[in-house]
Amino acid sequence: MTAVAELFHPDLNPTLRRLGERPRGAGRAGPSEEDRQVRESVWATLAELDGLRGPGLLDTAELMGPGLYQSPFLDTVFAAELLAADGRFGAELDRIAAGELTLAVAMREHGTDEPDQPAALTVARDRVTGVRRFVAFAAEVDHLLVVGGQEPVLALVPVRQRGVRTRRQDDLGRGDLYEVVLTGARARLLTSGGHYATALANARLRLAAHLAGIARGAVELSAAHLKDRRAFGAPLARQQVLAHRLAALAARTTAVLTFARTAARAAGTGADVRLPAAQALFLAADLAREAAAEAVHLHGARGLTEECDASVFHRRAAVTALTLGTPAGLRRLAATLLANAHTV
Amino acid sequence: MSASLLDHDPVLTPAQVEFRRQVRAFFAEDRVRELAEEIAGYPVGTEAALLPVYRWLGERGWLAPNWPVEYGGAGLGAVEAAIVTEEMTLAGIPDDVHVLSIDIVGLFLLLKGTEQQKRAHLPALAAGERIATVLFTEPEAGSDLAALRTRAVRDGDGWRLSGSKVYNMKSQYGDVALCAARTSDSPVGMHGITLFLLPLRSPGVHVEPVPSYANDRFNLVVIDGVRLTEADVIGRVDDGWALMNEMLQLERTGIDFHAKARRLLDLVLRRAAETGRLADPAYAIPLAELDAKLRAGHALAWQMVRDLGEHNPDPVASAMSKWYVTELFQPILTAAADIDGMDALLTAWDGDAPALGQLEAGYRFGPSHRLASGTSEVMLMLIATNGLGLL
Repeated sequence: MTAVAELFHPDLNPTLRRLGERPRGAGRAGPSEEDRQVRESVWATLAELDGLRGPGLLDTAELMGPGLYQSPFLDTVFAAELLAADGRFGAELDRIAAGELTLAVAMREHGTDEPDQPAALTVARDRVTGVRRFVAFAAEVDHLLVVGGQEPVLALVPVRQRGVRTRRQDDLGRGDLYEVVLTGARARLLTSGGHYATALANARLRLAAHLAGIARGAVELSAAHLKDRRAFGAPLARQQVLAHRLAALAARTTAVLTFARTAARAAGTGADVRLPAAQALFLAADLAREAAAEAVHLHGARGLTEECDASVFHRRAAVTALTLGTPAGLRRLAATLLANAHTV
Repeated sequence: MSASLLDHDPVLTPAQVEFRRQVRAFFAEDRVRELAEEIAGYPVGTEAALLPVYRWLGERGWLAPNWPVEYGGAGLGAVEAAIVTEEMTLAGIPDDVHVLSIDIVGLFLLLKGTEQQKRAHLPALAAGERIATVLFTEPEAGSDLAALRTRAVRDGDGWRLSGSKVYNMKSQYGDVALCAARTSDSPVGMHGITLFLLPLRSPGVHVEPVPSYANDRFNLVVIDGVRLTEADVIGRVDDGWALMNEMLQLERTGIDFHAKARRLLDLVLRRAAETGRLADPAYAIPLAELDAKLRAGHALAWQMVRDLGEHNPDPVASAMSKWYVTELFQPILTAAADIDGMDALLTAWDGDAPALGQLEAGYRFGPSHRLASGTSEVMLMLIATNGLGLL
């Protein structure tokens, strides 16, 4: 087991799943102080293990899945790729790798916006104005990387300044999504907008791996329950129909994760992976939500209770699945790219 | 094949990339392409057997590239064997004889046969000059192989074999078959099974056709008291069950099934582009989804090949790979009917059929993939029990 795998050891998953969880209707409330400290500790350990850069990011994303670990990890490494492509942010990249700098990527104004077509952003010299919603951990990170327009502008915006206002959104996941209002906020503009589609594809592969991790966690939780729960005179695990449904989900999980890994390796050689990235992500998004719903179902009515982790999987998978595009939008994108590849 | 990620995958060594290039060039030769076209237009009742292309591959040691040179191979590994399998199918060359003779029977002999058995059979199999088939399934024993009734009884210093085997393929062309028979009675059906090499052209072996709706026929093989010797036993007497499980897992990477499915989907995509339907999201989006799943299946199958090459096969993941990719045949073939409508249902003998009727033929053969080499339900059982600890 690698050091990062030790950090996300299965024994810790029940604790990780509840970190930062707010009560229903908590409105603007932040996480508890204890949760905040645990999160910081996990993040610091991840940095100590050099887990915030390098070729292992996709596998780290997968390992975070079974614990439904909520953090700025996926956004930070997405933004880091865009900073690296700009070429002027060596110091910031060092600080990211050291766990000292975190970022959130902000590309949506409306819930229906797709990341391939970021919302409009008004830019006046080094000031930006606009609204971004569904921004993960916006109130906790150091900088926002705001993406705007069709040939996207990338603006690095320090969060702690007068022109930035954040409001926690109360969502199904009960976690850390924020609305951000930028009013002439001070920003540094990046020159790497042309790399956005590539970085988005790479981020989608990491998210696909993370969702495969969520699916794996939901399947493992369900399998453990079936072995434990007796009904009709025997453990439910003896019921072939249930066992086969979980086996099918496990096989799909392995296939999707291997697909994401293979595409990420290809990306590392400079291959264009926009198509497989979109494909891996819609497969993973469907899978994670299905595995989570199956977990609730297999736990029976207890699956619907607050105390049962199946319910956390069900809620969080729904949110995570849409982070970098709806599966319908991804399918449309994949169909377009596929048609382009087969033009006669 | 459309934009294979494997072409960009750094896990292949430069030598393996070069090997794929050479194999691809071989299958692009005029003589191979002409043969593929001829096969696609075979008349009713004709099916591929000992194709000349197998001999051409055999001359280079490429029909069984992972076998030692002394047995007719090229002394290469599992990756190179998978490359040949994949490129062969993508080029439209049927690989059923190759799978049966090389990947199953040949592999059994290579890993479990005596030196005498290897020398007697492997060079001819690797040269593409001999066909070996598999006789496991019986009228009353399909997936439940432990129920098999074919019996071998002691006869002096040898054995006398009697029984019936059904739904096997290519036995009408075969020289020898790997045959499972009961040699001891036991309350546990898995015990007391032995594997034999049965000469198919012996007196006492009767091969009869069993009509099916696929192009390739099924056979009923009736074995009527055929005498075999100790030299015809593969492995140890009564150890056949363990041997079958061990060896079938090695064969089960999913790479051959994937290539068949990819060839069909690429045909459908080509037809969608030619008909203009690929520009219509109603048709293109389901195809993009099938393409996604097939790419995922491809990635997993190749992971299984690499694991095999590193002598670290994962039986649970192999079962996942086989299950995942074979579940895609029916959706691909029904998508073909969406793209071409009623034209997709025209046979190769009609003259108007798109893609030489290969989609219609594929539709008839499609269900076989979920049944062959362990049914989908057997794969799910393996995953559920050995992977998840259920059942």
